Amino acid sequence: MRIGIVSTAVPLARGGARLIVDWLEDKLREYGHAVEVVYIPCTEELPEILPQMAAFRMIRLDHYFDRIITTRPPAHVVQHPCKVVWLLHHVRMFYDLWGTTYSPVPDNEAGRALRTAIMAADRTALGEAHRLFANSHVVANRIRRFNDLESEVLYPPILRAEVFRSGDYGDEIVSICRMERHKRQHLMVQAMASTKTDVRLRLCGPTLDPGYVEALRESARQHGVADRVKIESRWISEEEKIAILESALASAYVPFDEDSYGYPTLEAAHARRSTVTASDSGGVSEFVTSGITGLIVDPDPVALADAFDRLHANRTLAQKLGTAASERVTTLGIDWTTVIGKLLS
Amino acid sequence: MVPFVHGGAEELYIHLIRNLRQAGVDAEGMRIPFTWEPAERLIDEMLIARRLRLYNVDRVIALKFPLYMVPWPDKVLWLLHQYRQAYDLLDVKQSNIPDDDRGREIISAIRKADNTAFSESRHIYTNAPITAKRLWDYNGVQSGILRPPLNDPELFLGGQSSGYVLATGRVNSAKRQFMLIQALRHAPGVRLVVAGPPDSASDADYLRQLAIQEGVEDRVTFELRLLSRQELAQRVNEALAVAYLPFDEDSFGYCTMEAFCAAKPVLTVSDSGGVLDIVRDGQTGVVVAPDPEDLGSALRQLAARPAHSAALGRAGREALESARLTWPTTVEKLLS
Repeated sequence: MRIGIVSTAVPLARGGARLIVDWLEDKLREYGHAVEVVYIPCTEELPEILPQMAAFRMIRLDHYFDRIITTRPPAHVVQHPCKVVWLLHHVRMFYDLWGTTYSPVPDNEAGRALRTAIMAADRTALGEAHRLFANSHVVANRIRRFNDLESEVLYPPILRAEVFRSGDYGDEIVSICRMERHKRQHLMVQAMASTKTDVRLRLCGPTLDPGYVEALRESARQHGVADRVKIESRWISEEEKIAILESALASAYVPFDEDSYGYPTLEAAHARRSTVTASDSGGVSEFVTSGITGLIVDPDPVALADAFDRLHANRTLAQKLGTAASERVTTLGIDWTTVIGKLLS
Repeated sequence: MVPFVHGGAEELYIHLIRNLRQAGVDAEGMRIPFTWEPAERLIDEMLIARRLRLYNVDRVIALKFPLYMVPWPDKVLWLLHQYRQAYDLLDVKQSNIPDDDRGREIISAIRKADNTAFSESRHIYTNAPITAKRLWDYNGVQSGILRPPLNDPELFLGGQSSGYVLATGRVNSAKRQFMLIQALRHAPGVRLVVAGPPDSASDADYLRQLAIQEGVEDRVTFELRLLSRQELAQRVNEALAVAYLPFDEDSFGYCTMEAFCAAKPVLTVSDSGGVLDIVRDGQTGVVVAPDPEDLGSALRQLAARPAHSAALGRAGREALESARLTWPTTVEKLLS
């Protein structure tokens, strides 16, 4: 089958939304399909959004491909008689973030008109899809609530789960994740000031916001925990990631209202590491059950510190939760055979 | 781009990105599927390019119509070709744009949009003298010539000839591999290897049937697929000569550069365009009329005089070396 994977992208920016496309491409080829990836550049500046969506919709794909799979929004507005949408998230400032401080869309006539237009376009684009998948229950619920459509949850696996290794449970709570404000690494740094054990924190990942990383470093100095907090602001290779997780105590992932469980959670689970997350982290709780596959605490430095200390003081607990996390992957059917089967159905 | 088509332009694109990265530049390529039929569609395609928005980059290097119309303040064009059916191919009546009022409007829109894109560009390079000349003749725009270098010269080291003539490159009617098959009837005993990806299944079927019709199927080996670079280099390195007969090509062509890098003579024809900038009859290869009988006679000559053929190939290598085409200097120009 000739398959096109269509996604929007920020030029030169890497991250989870790119990986899902790259990995899907590899896997579809492995299954014997001809695949082309089409990355369309896209900005989220308000006056530019609708014209860009109109342009995406004009791209002719039907004579080149038997099937199109779209991922990152608003790529799903492209047209094709056999369009499969695997929605990773909405353009959230018009949806769940609308009316919060996280949304730049003004609550005035122009802002509301733009929001109505985007929602109408999405309703059409999602409604016409041959199949509609969401990467999590969080996104599926939003599709139901905002777009009045039913979707099926299809969890994104990582490319090669088998490469992860599990060694002794060490001193480090690790966060291998893009460093951005809404990922809230600052809560973890602040938490370190309230810990009572020798637990250490390691933050690593690239950023689009160097100011945030600088603020993290400054916070570590101010709280007097710089010697126990390691910050590596760069892309982390797969090999490094494997090594960091192999000897970690656990992973921490406390984004604000994330759409899915997130690759950091899944990668940690493949390395038999549990995840410490927050009660307002959204889709992470689809994977993490507190006390079973990780710890869920209030989005508060003191509560996080307590969770870090509990794991540091009790390696048996860290191991037990980590092992259960690893088993959770199988229970949820997070694997490529499932994904390819569904996307090609 | 055209999904699933892989030829010289795609190789150039991949290697441009690779070499920018090697030069320490954070670079990424982006390609949008392009549809040119029916002609009315061209307007939509230009609108798409014009409505896309970039950010998070310092410089854009744009290669193809219509994507070079994407708005960006620091844009450098490396023009591989314009939409030729609105320019020189129109003049020779090989255009898909209808010869009526609407067709003229479409042509005018393309030319206006092109001129706008050219005027917004910081630098404009073209890949060959003929591209530069067209740009000057039709758009009044001056450009520097930046010939694409061979991407992996280290693979094309040459070697002992196994006696076959090799046709490389994409397989389609404009590259005229069919004419070589027709020529075989006039060149008894000569073996031909056709190695390259067909644009479509019908291009492949046509060649196979033609070989049977011509009664030469026992002397033609077909490898109608995208060969790995190593496989391709091995075919070139062991060839007696490389035959490359594109109709009115703009540039030397990768097939020509690969052959010369491996010190193999190139057989081409008098209407192959930019290939003739480096393939000279009796010096670095053989140039004949685009006619099966003439080609047959050239094939016979190449096979009958292997030492002379090898000498032509060595001269071809010298001609390529004196053109001094390398990626580091190319990247430097595109970044200046």
